[in-house]
Amino acid sequence: MKAGKSIYLFLIPGLILYLMFFIYPTLSALFYSFTNWDGLTADFDFVGMANYVEIFTKDSIFKKAFVNNLEFMLFVVIFQTLFSLVFALMLTKNSTASIFLRALYFFPTILSSVSVAFIWTYMYDPNLGLINKLLDLANLEFLTMNWIGDGDIAIYSISAVQVWFHTGQMLIIFVAGLQGIPKDLYEVAKMEGANKWQTFRKVTWPLVAPAATIVVAYTTIQSFKAFDLIFAMTRGGPNYSTEILATLIYNTAFRSYRFGYASAESVIFMIVIAIITFTQMRLLRSRA
Amino acid sequence: MKLKNYLIMIVVLTFVFLAACSAGSDEASGSGDGEKEISFIHWRGEDKEVFDELITKFEEENPDITVEMTIYPSEQYQSTAQTQIRDGEVGDVFTSFPGAQFKIMDKAGLMEDLSGEGFLDNFNKDLIEAGQKDGKQFAVPYQLVFNQPVYNKGLFEELGIEPPNDWEGFLAMNEKLKENGYTPIAFPGADIGAGQLMNSMMMNNAPDEEIFTKLENGETKLTDEWWVKTLTQFKELADKDYFQKDSLGTKHDGAIALMAQEKAGMLASGSYAMASIKEQNPDMELGLLAPITVSADEAEYEGIHTTTFMLAVNSNSDSKPEAKKFIEFLSQKENAEKYANETGQHLTVNDLEYESEELKSTAHWMEKNTRFHPRYLISSADIQKAVEASIQAVIGGQDPEQAAKEAQQVVDQFVE
Repeated sequence: MKAGKSIYLFLIPGLILYLMFFIYPTLSALFYSFTNWDGLTADFDFVGMANYVEIFTKDSIFKKAFVNNLEFMLFVVIFQTLFSLVFALMLTKNSTASIFLRALYFFPTILSSVSVAFIWTYMYDPNLGLINKLLDLANLEFLTMNWIGDGDIAIYSISAVQVWFHTGQMLIIFVAGLQGIPKDLYEVAKMEGANKWQTFRKVTWPLVAPAATIVVAYTTIQSFKAFDLIFAMTRGGPNYSTEILATLIYNTAFRSYRFGYASAESVIFMIVIAIITFTQMRLLRSRA
Repeated sequence: MKLKNYLIMIVVLTFVFLAACSAGSDEASGSGDGEKEISFIHWRGEDKEVFDELITKFEEENPDITVEMTIYPSEQYQSTAQTQIRDGEVGDVFTSFPGAQFKIMDKAGLMEDLSGEGFLDNFNKDLIEAGQKDGKQFAVPYQLVFNQPVYNKGLFEELGIEPPNDWEGFLAMNEKLKENGYTPIAFPGADIGAGQLMNSMMMNNAPDEEIFTKLENGETKLTDEWWVKTLTQFKELADKDYFQKDSLGTKHDGAIALMAQEKAGMLASGSYAMASIKEQNPDMELGLLAPITVSADEAEYEGIHTTTFMLAVNSNSDSKPEAKKFIEFLSQKENAEKYANETGQHLTVNDLEYESEELKSTAHWMEKNTRFHPRYLISSADIQKAVEASIQAVIGGQDPEQAAKEAQQVVDQFVE
């Protein structure tokens, strides 16, 4: 029982890794955000708050990317949570069919983002793509669209891919939550004469709420940081309609070579994610 | 004693680890048995086969050198090459696009000065200027490309169409193609389309070759007549359905397929796409044309050219002599001819004999009054993107003046 102070030594490896891979890069980004470093040469000047001022006063693309990010996040959070909950409700039992379908829905999660992006880019292709071809075949030509080439809908088309990609993962969390609900509660509800909707509202939902909070929190952060799908499918186009903060920061750093400015964008991005995470944590605690 | 044993074990393991690392680095540079391995990186996936053959020949002629070729997709190459080349582990010989990428690589000091190298005499001096900075030759452009629409010669002959020399004629030509059931222009709007067609669309609207330098200095604006007119003409092409349906969702491969299937009369990319079209449809006869956006008497330029695929030696390389030897090999007449004829590319190398039909039929463009690719003269990647985005905006339905205004907002961010 007497481990003594030496027990803290076991924290050192983890602490070193945390300092190296989180604290140091974070502080570096903060430091460089006050410079005009180009990322290529060793020279840079301190520019004070100039990068931040430019972002908030002159950078119209940053604002556009931020709004796109919010739209992307809302679409993904709403539909991913909804679909994963509905599928989980249908697949809670451990029957052979349910287990097979759960595995099937989980399958996209194990694919690489780039593969998913390529598959969907071809499916969305207006001339050769499967989606418009199927709509044509079904005499639903009026529904055919320029899925990722039309600036008004491109961000939602990619959001739909993100939902398809990760719904299976969230479904597993919901299934775990649903399977933890005691069966007696359903029997009592049945004896009390509750219908299906009342049973869901009064029994299932309150008890699956902690799982729902985890799903919402995780999906929110995941969708805010989405980079790979957008980068591989549209690179932020057309006309910045799918540009989100993560792709914008990448372009600023690795195409424009404005590392100082990209660092300032990253710091703001980090603060936004921290606020969202904090809000989610508060929600999680209030449900516990 | 126990502590002592542990210490000895840690010291031994550390030495083993360091030895393994050092052995690994030896292996990576390929320096065993006096053999040197050089890394060659570029973005031309379609040239892999011919480069494989040339590399085999080079290795036979230079048994002490091996070449490891790595090819990246061009978009990826533009955004990641600099970072990979910087530490000197890859890209002893690398390629660069002219313009923004060349400037960034030069700024980072990644390119060895090649001035005075004997192999430079193998190149046409007028065509390798894009690789020069302050009178020094840092990179050698290898390909000579015409960045203007490719057209289906057979179809044009069948319909009795001659490439026009003014804007009215260009519109009439598109209308005729459309009336006959063809997509006039296959436009790869999802990737390279805007960045390619903009060059020939603006060349006569803004004949001043310094126009983008002036834009970056604040001496002209995208809201000025030259760019608003260019955007208005792009919108006219889109509104009249001269581009294929949903053109902003079509990538270059898709547009090439439309052209090769003879569904489209023109492909809005450049001469570099001709080999891919011919691969899919060997019977097609292809030519080059450029939209003249003014009246015939106002036109100054007939087309657009670029000298690109600029070969450079990594200044951080441990194998600079071997890297230079490889560039020299590529510049030799016999090897350059093989590359040109098998890839369908004109080269900047002197006195080549072109055998392929496309190269022969487009060789006369070298004598025409063509202008250097204006987009490559935009040094800021952000401004380049804003300019292209304004084209996508008008094709997507936005008013040209509004699109120009929004793009100028981005430019203003960078103008002091």
